Formats: sequence, C-alpha cells, structure tokens
Amino acid sequence: MIPATMLTNALLVGAVLFCLGLVGILTRRNLIVMFLSAELMLQGVSVTLVAWSRYHGDWGGQVLVVFVLTVAACEAAVALVFVLQAFARTGRLDASAWQALREENLPRVIDHELPADDRVVPTWPHLSPAGVLPEGDDSRSLERDHV
Amino acid sequence: MDPASTATTAPSGLLLAGSVAALAASLWLLLPKASDTVTSRRLGFLLGAVALVGFAATGRSLGCVGEDAVFLTVAGIAVLSGLATIVTRSPVYSAIWFAMTLAGVSGVLLVLGAQFLGVATIVVYAGAILVMFLFVLMLAQPSGMAPYDRVSNEPMLAAAAGAVLLGLLTLSIGRLSAAEPPSCCRMPSRAQAVAAAAPADGAAAKDDGHTTLIAPATAGGDTGDANEVAHLGAELFGRHLFAVEVAGVLLLVALVGAIAVVSRGEATETDHRREGR
Amino acid sequence: MQSSAANLLVLVPLLPLLGAIGTVLLGRRLGSRAHLPAVAGIGAAAVVALLLLLGTAAQVGGGHGDPLRPAEPVEMITTLWQWATVGDARSGDLSVTENSGLGAPVAPGTADHGGAFSIPIALRLDPLTATLLTIITGVGLLVAIYSIGYMHDDPGYPRFFALVAMFVFSMSMLVAASNFLLVYVFWEAVGACSYLLIGFWYTKPEAARAAKKAFLVNRVGDFGLAIATFLLWMTYGTLDFHDTHLADGTIVEGILGQIRLADEAGYVGGAVGTAICLLMLLAACGKSAQMPLHVWLPDAMEGPTPASALIHAATMVTAGIYLITRSAPLFVGCPGALAMVSIVGATTALVAALIATVQNDLKRVLAYSTISQLGYMFVALGTGTMLGFTAAIFHLVTHAFFKALLFLGAGSVMHAMGGVIDMRRFGGLRHVMPITAATFLVGACALAGVPPFAGFFSKDEILATLHAKAHPEAHGSDHAEAGSAGERPRDSFGQSGVAAPSPFRPASMTTRSARRGAPGEHGSTTEKVGLDALDHPSTWRLLFWMSLLTAGLTAFYTFRAVFMTFTGPVRVPKEAGHHAHESPTAMTSPLLVLAVLSAFSGLVLFVTNALSSFLAATPSLTAPAVARTAVPHVFHWDIAIQGTLAAAIGIAVAAIGHLGRRSDSPQMERYLGPLGTLFANKFYFDQIYAALVVKPLEALAMVTAFFDRTIVDGTVDAIGQVPLAWGSAIRRMQSGLVQRYALAGVVGVLAIVLALAWQLRP
Repeated sequence: MIPATMLTNALLVGAVLFCLGLVGILTRRNLIVMFLSAELMLQGVSVTLVAWSRYHGDWGGQVLVVFVLTVAACEAAVALVFVLQAFARTGRLDASAWQALREENLPRVIDHELPADDRVVPTWPHLSPAGVLPEGDDSRSLERDHV
Repeated sequence: MDPASTATTAPSGLLLAGSVAALAASLWLLLPKASDTVTSRRLGFLLGAVALVGFAATGRSLGCVGEDAVFLTVAGIAVLSGLATIVTRSPVYSAIWFAMTLAGVSGVLLVLGAQFLGVATIVVYAGAILVMFLFVLMLAQPSGMAPYDRVSNEPMLAAAAGAVLLGLLTLSIGRLSAAEPPSCCRMPSRAQAVAAAAPADGAAAKDDGHTTLIAPATAGGDTGDANEVAHLGAELFGRHLFAVEVAGVLLLVALVGAIAVVSRGEATETDHRREGR
Repeated sequence: MQSSAANLLVLVPLLPLLGAIGTVLLGRRLGSRAHLPAVAGIGAAAVVALLLLLGTAAQVGGGHGDPLRPAEPVEMITTLWQWATVGDARSGDLSVTENSGLGAPVAPGTADHGGAFSIPIALRLDPLTATLLTIITGVGLLVAIYSIGYMHDDPGYPRFFALVAMFVFSMSMLVAASNFLLVYVFWEAVGACSYLLIGFWYTKPEAARAAKKAFLVNRVGDFGLAIATFLLWMTYGTLDFHDTHLADGTIVEGILGQIRLADEAGYVGGAVGTAICLLMLLAACGKSAQMPLHVWLPDAMEGPTPASALIHAATMVTAGIYLITRSAPLFVGCPGALAMVSIVGATTALVAALIATVQNDLKRVLAYSTISQLGYMFVALGTGTMLGFTAAIFHLVTHAFFKALLFLGAGSVMHAMGGVIDMRRFGGLRHVMPITAATFLVGACALAGVPPFAGFFSKDEILATLHAKAHPEAHGSDHAEAGSAGERPRDSFGQSGVAAPSPFRPASMTTRSARRGAPGEHGSTTEKVGLDALDHPSTWRLLFWMSLLTAGLTAFYTFRAVFMTFTGPVRVPKEAGHHAHESPTAMTSPLLVLAVLSAFSGLVLFVTNALSSFLAATPSLTAPAVARTAVPHVFHWDIAIQGTLAAAIGIAVAAIGHLGRRSDSPQMERYLGPLGTLFANKFYFDQIYAALVVKPLEALAMVTAFFDRTIVDGTVDAIGQVPLAWGSAIRRMQSGLVQRYALAGVVGVLAIVLALAWQLRP
C-alpha cells in the first residue's frame, strides 16, 4: 500500500512518459523511433497501472501490466517484421515514404531542405596488422627513452 | 496516510500554464529540425527541465523525504531519458536512451513495490524487445543516421498537443491530492475502506474474494511485502488463468505469424527493392 | 322494366369504355384487327341506345296527343354510387338573408337539407338524352367503320380506335349525367379526347399546335362552366338535375327536377340568373365554336378526317347545344340571356358563312360550315320557345347526319387524292369516285336546305321560330310570344311586392318585382331594362334576315365546293399516284347509310312530328314557361318559300361561278376586293388574339422562364456548390501521411476534453 503522495508522484511520472511518447510517435519519421515512442507510452501506462494497483491493494492493475508486457512483446515482434517489409519495399525506414493513400489531386509531400549531416566523423586510431612493427612517428612521440 | 491530512496546495493555474508553455517550447526546440543549432538544443534541454519541475510542483506533494529521494532519482532518470529518446537524432542513440528509460521505470516500479514487474520490465523489454530493435536497425540502417532522421513531422503542433495533454493530466492528478478533492474524483483507498470496516487487524478482510487463495492482503500489504510475487502469481493463475493461457497462445500466434510473413517477404524482397537509400 | 332500362342505360357508356380499355390492352397484339374491341363496343352501345330510344318513345307515346298542353315529363334516374359527400358544406352564413340578393333558399315548401354537398354518379334517361345517345353511338359506329378503311396503314391504328371509343364513352356520359358537376367532368373529358385526336399525328408541328389551341380555347369556356356551377350550387343548394329523396323523408329539389319545374317561380332571374346563363353561354361558345371562341375549329382540321367528322361535326360541338337545351328553364327566366344566345349564334353563322365562301381547302369549308350551322342552332335556342328548342335539336340531328356525311366524303376524296385537299388542285372527280360524289351531293343538298332533304325541314323550323318572335302579333296566340311573358322570375325574397333595393340586384329587378302580379300578362308591352332590352321584336327581325342571308351563303359555298371538286375536267394531283379510285367498301358503306339518313330523316321526322312531340316530354321542356309557348305543328309555307329561294339563289351563283369550270380558274372572290381579303384572313381573329393574348402570355412566360433558370436554378446550384467547396477544403487534410492523421486525431480529442473540462470546472 502506498501513500497518496506517492500515488500522485507515480501518476505524474506515468503521465509524463505517456505524453513524451505521444509527441515522439507523432513527430519522428524513423519507423524504429516511432515504435520506441510507442513503447514509451506503454511504459507510462504501466507505471500508472501499478501505482493505482498498489494504492488500492487491487491486484488487477499489476495483472494487467503483465499482460501489457506480453502483448507488447508480440506486438514488437510482428511490427518489426512489417517494418522490415516496409524497408524492403522502399529501401528506407521513413514513415513519410508511404503517401500513396492521399487524395488524387494533392501533390506528394517531399522534403525540400534537409539539414546537413553535422556529425563529426570520428577518426578512429588506425591499428596496424599484427606482427608488423608500426612505423614510428617522431613528431608524435613523447620524450621517453624507455617504455 | 490519509490523503486529507497531508495538506497539499491545490494546483495553481498559472504555474500549470507556464509549465505547459515551457514544455511545448522545449520540445519544439529539441525535436530535430533543419534549423537546429547547438544553442537551441541546450536551451531546449534547459527549458524542458524547468517545465518538468513546474509540472512536478503543480502535481506532486511533499511527503517523506527518504522515500522521496530514491523515487525522485529514478523518476528523474526515467523522465529525462524518455525526453532524450524522442529528441535524439540517431536512432541507435534513441534506443540506448530508451534502455535508460527502462531502467528508470523499473526503478519506479520497484519503489512502488511491484517487484516482479520491475524485474520483468528489464528482462523482457530491455533484454528482448530492445535488442530486437537494434537488430532491425542494424539490418536496415547501419550507418546510424539518415536524412529523414534529422527532420520531424509537424513539430510545433505535436509539441503543443503533447504539452496541453500533459497539462490536462496534471490538472486532474492534482485534483486528486487537493485538500478537498471534488466528489467525482474522491476515491478512498480500498485499503482504508477495508481498514475502516474491519477494525480487528487479524480478521480476514471481506473484500470480495480478491486474494483469497493464500493469505488475504491486509491493510499492511505495503512495499516490504515479501510475498508480493507469490501473491501476484496466485492472482494471475487463480483469477486470471484463462487470460494467461490466451496470452500464451497469443505469443505463439505472433511467433508463427512473424515467421510466416518474413518467409514470404524474403521471396519478393529482391523484386521490390526501390530507389532512395 | 325500370331496372332493366337502368341497366341498359349504364351499358351505353360502359361498352365503349370497355372497348377502349380492350383496345389499349390488346391493340398491339391484334395488329390490323385492332379496331375490333372499339367497334364492337360502340356497335353494341348503338344497339342499346336504339333500344332505349324505342323504349322511351313508347313511354312518351302513351301520353296525350295534344301539343298545346304540356306533355307529361318522362325521365328515369339511375344512381350508380355516391361519389362525394361533404356533410355540412353549406353553413348558416351562406343562407339567404333579406338583403343578400343571392340565391334563394333551397325551394319553397321543402326543408333545407342540412346543407350537404353531395355528388352522386347518377344517369338519367329522358327523350333528349335518348335522342342524343342514339346520334352519338350511331354516328360513332359509322365513323368507326369508316376509319377501318381510312386509317388502314397508319402506325397509330390502335390508338385511334381507343381514342374514338373513349370519346364515345365521354360524350355518352355527358348527355346522360344527371348532375352539373358530372357534366363538367365529362365536358372536360371530351375536350381532352378532342385534344388527343386533333393532335393524333403529334409529330406534325401544325397538328400539335392546333391541338393545343383547341384545348386552350376550350379552357376559356370551361372556366365559364365552372363559375356557373359554383353559382348554381349557391343559388339552388344542389347540383343534381333530379329530385333526391332523403332518408328522413325530405326531398332535395333538383335544379331540373319535377318539383322545381312544376313551380312557376322555381327559377331565379335577375342578375344571378343572367350571370349563370351567360356563363353557360360562354361554355357553350367554347365547346360549340361560336364567336369569339370559334378560332380552334378550323385549325382542328389537322386531325384525321374521321375524327373531324365525329367530334367536330356531329357530336362534341353539339355539347353546347345540349347544355343550353338542358338548362332551358333557367334560360327562359332571363330573356336577355336568351337574346344574347341568338345574337351570338346569328352573328357567328353569318361571319362563318362569309369566311367559308373564300376557302379553298375542302375541310376548312366544312369546318366553317359547321360553325355556321351551330350558330343556326344557337339562334333557334335563343328564341326560348318550344319550337325553338325542338328545332334546334332537330337541326342537330340532321346536321349530325349530313355533316358527318360531308366530312367522311371529304375524307374519301382526301384518301383518293393522296392527302391533297386543296380544291384547286383536283376536279371532275365524279368520274373517278362516283359513289362519293353522289353521297356528297346528297349531303350538300341537305346542308343547303334543298327540299325535301333533311336540312330543309330543320332550317325551315328555325326560320319559323325566328319569324314568330319577330312578329309576335302575326302568329296570333299568346303562346307564341317572346318568352318573357309567362314566367315570373323569382326574386330572392320569395315574396311579392317588396322592392327593397339591395346592392346585388340591378334596377331592372326592382322594377320587375314591383310589377309582379298576375301571370299571363303580355310581356311584350312592358318595359325591359338592361340586358333584357335586347329581347325586342326588332332584334328578332334583324336576326331573321341575317339567318336568311346565311342560308343563301350556305348554299353558295356548299355548291361551290361541290362544283369545284366533282365537276369540270378530271384533274388528279400527282400525289394521288395509284390511289385515285373509289374508296373501299369500309369507307363507302357509312357514306351510303348517312346519305339515306340525310335524304329521308328530315322528311320522316317532320311529317310525323315524331321528334317534336318526343322531345316535348323532356323534363326540361315541360316547364310551364317553355311548354306554354308550344304551337300547333304546321308547315310554314311562307318561310319555306323564303328559305328555298335563298338556297336557290345561292346555288345559282355558285353554278355560274364554278359549274363545269376548271377548279383552278379565277374565282369569284376577286370581285370582292378588300372584303375578300378580310374573309380570307378569317376577319383577323387569330391575329387579334395573338396580339392581345398570346404575345403577352409569351412575354410573361419568358420572364418566368428566366426567373426559373437564373434565380431558382442558380440558387439551387449555389447551394449545391457549398458541399463541393467544403469538400475541396477538407480534402487537403488527407495527405497520405499517417502521422498527420494521428495528429489530427489527438488534436481533436484534446479539443473535446478541453471543452468538457471547461464545462465541468468547479
């Protein structure tokens, strides 16, 4: 049994997770991220259910969460299969690639400007193949006479 | 533990509205757009934190500090990781952040006293489902990030909608803890009703045959209940046996279905490979 | 006996109706035998009508033989069912007050029948009806037989016979109905059949136009009959002709029922009575093609010739005559109206005869001749004497025979000449079609009034009654006076001597009611005011000379037509092809039958005085006002000589102009000059109507059409555009992007929840 204060706290946590998941699923275009956001919503719901269940002492909430977990697993499996099918047809994981059900005289929504990929490509250290003495680079070596 | 005894402040409308606005702004700033800069993202994070604090202030109430600290930590991890999940550009990072969220959520569940579920969340979600996501991501998009990951669909409207929804939910949650909760929201805890009805402690609580198989849950069934898993199991396989079996069948069906779709899809995959990697 | 006569009476309209229905249902299947149901129906009806005629004659013949005493009325009423009843249709407000001046209480001595409006489907059989039924079904049968040959290869063969049978049904019901509303219904029905038959070849624009014109002009007359019906109901409280015996013992007096007829003061005169009579005159003008509603009959010749023969010569156009004869007691109470009837008739007769003298289309000549002869009948009716009414019906009967004969003969000619009917294009046809020529000549003699053919006797009687009214003293007995003498027009007070003026009664009414007193007073010496002033001997003298002149003109144009068509060198137009021979037996046998009738019926009926004494037993004509004017049956030698002289002059002039000459030789009307043009243009009636009536209506129609197209349709279209506009706006929401759909859903749900939360805020 949890006190009412903890109930409201937990409910708040659940609500936040739910709303964040909602925003994510409405906004992000990557199918996988959309799905993750959906799972986030489910997490929020689970927290809420458990909170109520513990507050009232009613096991129903937790039982429901068990089932939610189960169904989420099935759903994830099947959904990912479809995601892969979608990827196979379009070659991308873009939700906006599927617009064929629009009205006939509406133009296709296409991206006009895409932000540039501003990631810094990391330079990983180059490891030479084993058994070969790496070439020394005097400019980069520190002053040490022994290792 | 009487909800009426711990006086809380009724949710303040202004604070709530401000929190809603701040959350909306922060989400909008954070969601991937063409016009993102590092500054905007930092500002977004700041605003988001501010907003969440505001929501917490309107909704929650102060209670015992010790419990609170643990709860606050894990809740904070969950919420902030959740925010990060949806705003990160790279889907792989998004999945990792989701794992963090799961950790936070598991912590919350444990604090709430649902031990089985807390562990099950980690095991099933983080261990199985998330791994599946990563597999698929690596199959489909090994480079990690694609152009369409850097833009969002209708960020403004979605952010506003989410923020408003959160405001509404907070409002109603706040009402629960108000000094005088409205009659429609007044929900006395069943436990308190049980305690009120059965003054003798050891007597069997007559509450509708809920947990009658093993020991009935007394008013003292709280976080430290060592038999929680057993009780949950008894409940599951007692009252909800049929549902459990159906769930099992559902898992089987999903498995078979997934395999069936995939095997048929593979035959046509090469035919349907389209443009636009 | 009574019930079998009732059954037979019902059969007369019923059998042609069944024939029409049979033709409609089986026509296509019967093919070239599609005439069988209709001809069988009409033929059976003709036999039944003849039986009824003989039966009624037997009943009449059992009465006394004195022509000077009013005959015993012979009638038989059979009520089939009650069509409509409105319980208390006549409320207390409509009942007569002292000063209202409108219709009388129901009848003297009977209780008000609770003011119910009831229309029974009742048929009556009396001498007038029996005569007309025989004519209608008899001539109808002959025309139907003729049509078997005439319409032989017409694609609308079944439709024609269905229409003819339908028409015979409607006309039979019209003359047999015993209720003014039923008469109105079948008045319209014959109008409709006429429309359908004129426009039989509806693909021809002239035919469609002529049919429309006929219907619309008839409509004007129908309007008059409708108003007259309303006034009749308000005045007399019922629309039945016959007396109805109610269950509680009271009797509802029919307008032409025994009780009211026997009552000297049973009929309303004055303004209301004159209004009723004039409106009925308007209706009769419409149906019988009198001026100014005569313009439809010449155009109606666009229809098939047998239809013209049946409808526009023998039967339908006589409906007006029937109506006035049937309403004789009402008319006799309003001398002014009677004088109007005669004036209209005589004027029409003269004008139509003048127009006919310059027509070159044989059917048009006959059409104008019909108008003219109908005018004769109206003249006779308007004299208001027993002789006048019987003369009119006599002329109706003989006219039916010889006019039908002439029309069928013209049809025979047209059939042989390949559709050409312009007399200038053929000639000398007595060598080509001798039977047609002979019968046509018989008919022409009858029409012209050559003794001893039928038309001579009937025309003689008409002239005689005119002469009697023009010279009341010359004919001695006070019975032969102008019809204003005996009857007392009854004013609305039902009392004597009270002359309180009221807004509804003209001054003439006042003075007449002041003069009320002894019956039998000589009306010719009293002053008459208003319309009644027309009833003056000098008027009748003028009408007599007009009629005599018309007789001469009739002979002229008739024999002009005969000479142009049948005498002179043989000329056949090229459209005739191989048709230029005598018509088949189906067409010539009715011609022969009608020729015999035209030749001898007049003589027989006159010598035996059968028709007059038979008709005198008609209830309408047994009213004392009418019966009082009966005269002994004599042959008026002086009138006969005048009439024959006029006919002879006419024939002589025609012979001078056309006998033996080529039909396209220069005609006599070139001597008429501008008058000839006037006649040829039909006195410009059509042009006047076009300017006064048609063009304004067309303008109004165009305005209305514009309003309908632009404003009404525009509004509807604009309203229709609204959903289209909304749709195109909403359609943009469907972009195909699932996330946008979900967003829309979320926003919608939020809106609802916000609204609810706002509503439920504490």
